[in-house]
Amino acid sequence: MSELLTELTDSTRSVLDSLGPGTAEETIWTQVVDLGWLLAGVPESLDGLGLGPAAVCVIQQELGRSLSAARYPAATLVIDALVAAGESPLLERLPLLLTEALATAPLVPPDIEISDDGRLSGTVRAVWSVDRASDILVWTNSDVLLVPTSAGALKARPTWDETRRLFDITFTDVNIDSGWRLAQGAAAETLVCRIETLRDFLLAADAIGGATAALESTVNYLTERKQFGRPLALFQALKHRCADLKAHIAAAEALFADTLNQAESGFGQPQAALLAREAKLLATAAYTEAAEEAVQLHGGIGMTAEHPCHLYLKRAQLNEHLGRRRVSDELELATCQFS
Amino acid sequence: MSEQLRTEVRSWLENNVPAGWREAMTGCDQDAFVAAQRDWFFKLVEAGYATPHWPERWPGGGRSLAEQKIIYEEVARADAPRLILYFVALYHAACTLMECGSADQQQRFLPGILKGDVWCQGFSEPNAGSDLASLRTRAERRGDVYVINGQKTWSTMAQYADRCLLLARTSSDGRPQAGITYFLMDMRSKGVSVRPISQITGDDEFAEIFLDDVEIPVEDRVGEEGQGWAVAQATLASERGLTLVELTQRMRHSLGRIGEVMRARGCADDPVLRAAFGRLIPQVHAACALADGYLQKRISGEEVVGDASIVKLYYARTLREFVRLGQQISGLDGQTMEEFTRGGSQETGNWAVDFMNSYNWSIAGGSDEIQRNIIAERMLQMPREPRDWRWQKGA
Repeated sequence: MSELLTELTDSTRSVLDSLGPGTAEETIWTQVVDLGWLLAGVPESLDGLGLGPAAVCVIQQELGRSLSAARYPAATLVIDALVAAGESPLLERLPLLLTEALATAPLVPPDIEISDDGRLSGTVRAVWSVDRASDILVWTNSDVLLVPTSAGALKARPTWDETRRLFDITFTDVNIDSGWRLAQGAAAETLVCRIETLRDFLLAADAIGGATAALESTVNYLTERKQFGRPLALFQALKHRCADLKAHIAAAEALFADTLNQAESGFGQPQAALLAREAKLLATAAYTEAAEEAVQLHGGIGMTAEHPCHLYLKRAQLNEHLGRRRVSDELELATCQFS
Repeated sequence: MSEQLRTEVRSWLENNVPAGWREAMTGCDQDAFVAAQRDWFFKLVEAGYATPHWPERWPGGGRSLAEQKIIYEEVARADAPRLILYFVALYHAACTLMECGSADQQQRFLPGILKGDVWCQGFSEPNAGSDLASLRTRAERRGDVYVINGQKTWSTMAQYADRCLLLARTSSDGRPQAGITYFLMDMRSKGVSVRPISQITGDDEFAEIFLDDVEIPVEDRVGEEGQGWAVAQATLASERGLTLVELTQRMRHSLGRIGEVMRARGCADDPVLRAAFGRLIPQVHAACALADGYLQKRISGEEVVGDASIVKLYYARTLREFVRLGQQISGLDGQTMEEFTRGGSQETGNWAVDFMNSYNWSIAGGSDEIQRNIIAERMLQMPREPRDWRWQKGA
């Protein structure tokens, strides 16, 4: 990791540590905006920091580590799409998005369609804090739109993962305003690929951050907790499970860094999306494994609502389903080897 | 610069990897394998690709770690034979001599390595495996020689070796590590006998070495008496992660084999096998990224204790899953006893044998369990278990 990214990790972590766990979404969001984290991936020509997707992922990794409620991935996807779409009238809204970021995006592919006469219908599931957003980014294979949330009907989607507030938003025969359109046709295809690539890398980063924290908590607990007159951490059966988790998380991290590095020059290409999918698959698997083991190795205390163990478990399990299409990632990866 | 080297190595390999070596090495006996290894070794030595890690004054030497990595990546990409017979000589023996050997020892032994001397390792013993420091082979000083008595085991290709890197105990006082001394033993010395060990694959790649009043001249001791443990660390650190770069790259290139077999056997659409394949792909890529990242850390000096253990543990586990899938996709036919291939990747396509051989990586060179201890104790800072123990049956 470059020195710059290491510094970014440290500074992000110290801000989040000082806020403490369970910080309310709006409190943390003020910090995200004020500290310029939304600017990280925006090119310098547009008054951003120009640090690219790697920096955005570093921030999300730390947010994931602290189980943060901040809708950073959703806002980042909108900002990145706006920038990537290039000269569109929507670009004028970028400065406002960067300071208030009142737009959101779904973390699963939207189930929507656009009729021949330009009407939008369908449900976008699992959208983060859409009730606080003025606009939502949605896409089909041939269109990318930034739609006012007032055009749809919101429904809260209570999920076991209480660290994130999710909603479904349904559009029924909504007349599409041409000013909402970010890209169409081939340009939309590339943009969708880019959105999904960044989304999967962000989910992988979240998973790596969370998995690392879950393992740290487990190791600390095993070191402090005594039974049979000795720390639990002395038992090799338990140590080895922690070592395996460490190795799996390290592998997910290594794959994440490598795939991101390979993909960075070609965000928007199908190859990049595939790399991101691999990174996400391995990272989310490492996260659920670490979280499941965390609950088991914390014993009874891991079953209590008071201890944060269950927050990792629920966030990890939700992450496995975000960014996922109808076909399992594993099957798609195998299919690519055959074609 | 590095791209130029890559092109150079690639084109050299295209012209020099023995055509049809895989077929020739399938079902051949070990003597034919040794002869083929010798030919390949001399080709590599002549081209300078056997010794990139040696100092600059040696032919082919003076390559940076990054350049060595390129050579290994290209060897893997070309599916060239692995230089198994000479690995101990080129890495363990040479690096030990260069780091810890005297000028006289370097002069006497290094040129021989380039002329094809085969070396083996005499570290493990029947009662000293993971707990190597408990080794019991004795070395007793008598005038200008040490007299050695004991037994070594798991010594790869010892039956073909000219010389042996030997650890023996010169003292039983203090910590077990403190009494160990390092020797360079001539395998033709009186009192050395070698017995190949028959393996579960039917091969006999490694051997036991029996040492019965073997005399080793004092000038063939490396370092001082009692410093053998430190010298052995230099031996074991000598390959610096390059082997796992090569092996993970070979594994990556072998992914295509899985697809080929599934197609050939008409099970390409089996969803269970496909899902297992899909799960394996990111793991193989992650193993490559880990090995790669580890070497980068060595280059930049950021390596920490335990990094190497993670790479080895993850590789061993991934390899096991890889060859297990190979067995699954080959069905009943995969259970048929077939001639195996020597000297290739760990994924030769003879999956039953590959599966058995995959234990080489989860047991040898520090078992998975030892790696897990290192990761837990040195990286996660979990405590070591107490050294004293009591056990009563039924208590």
